[in-house]
Amino acid sequence: MPQVLPEQLPWWVAGPAIGLCVVALYGLANVKLGVSGGWLQVVLVAQRRPVTEPWRLWFTGGLVGGALLAAALGAGRAVGYGNLSAVMSPGLLVGLLLLVGVAIGYGARWAGGCTSGHGISGCSAGSPESFAATATFFGVAIAVTFAVHLLTGGAV
Amino acid sequence: MGCAFGFFLTASGLGNYRTIHDGLLLRDSYMYLMMAATVGTAAIGIAALKRRGRTLFAGPLEVPRHPVRREAFYGGAVFGVGFGVGATCPGITVAAIATGNWYGAVVLAGILGGLWLRGIVADRAPPRVATVRDLL
Repeated sequence: MPQVLPEQLPWWVAGPAIGLCVVALYGLANVKLGVSGGWLQVVLVAQRRPVTEPWRLWFTGGLVGGALLAAALGAGRAVGYGNLSAVMSPGLLVGLLLLVGVAIGYGARWAGGCTSGHGISGCSAGSPESFAATATFFGVAIAVTFAVHLLTGGAV
Repeated sequence: MGCAFGFFLTASGLGNYRTIHDGLLLRDSYMYLMMAATVGTAAIGIAALKRRGRTLFAGPLEVPRHPVRREAFYGGAVFGVGFGVGATCPGITVAAIATGNWYGAVVLAGILGGLWLRGIVADRAPPRVATVRDLL
């Protein structure tokens, strides 16, 4: 497929574009854009429980579709998992990434949102809880990243 | 809207481990600039919407604003650990998978598991201790 997109869109293009998505969802349907909420609905479906926000299923489907489209048009390809791939075997990496995922999913449900729900939608709406959650996400993530960086002697 | 979001998120290059990781190591500013641009644009848009007061298809506009609960910190911290080690989040993982990083699927499986697990734990948790007001 043609390389229509640059490897990485400038932040001042992708940023406002996503900001507009947030606004559009509020303006059209009075709903808050958030990804973890979408996957949560998927989990509810899998548990055969009533789906509380059906639109999120559509949103998640669209998210996957849009991502595939961008990738097909040439958005940056990633191979492996960066430095983590360099320092551990694929088997160990898979185990670690599963735990990473569990932490992300568990934490997102506990906090009531993830970096999109709280980080962009909540913060732009001025929600104090979102500011607190987002600050915690990034604060802890940066601290953990530095800790791992130091512990691995800069390998990761 | 999902398509648009997924498209721009992936095109932004945030699906790449290195971009996020370097951002968290405070070496690469892309992630922060992008978030600032996103929140800034959205904040302006929301302010404009509020002045209008109505949504197009769903009646009056209600933009949720929640007071800070402890859960925001607890959940935020747990999330932050995953975010820090994996340099990914629910949306970015989809971008990663779409751009050929199959490890993203592993993370996604974990995310679904974590969401599910939290549901179980939350359902089992005892109700909050009654406040003094409740006892009176």
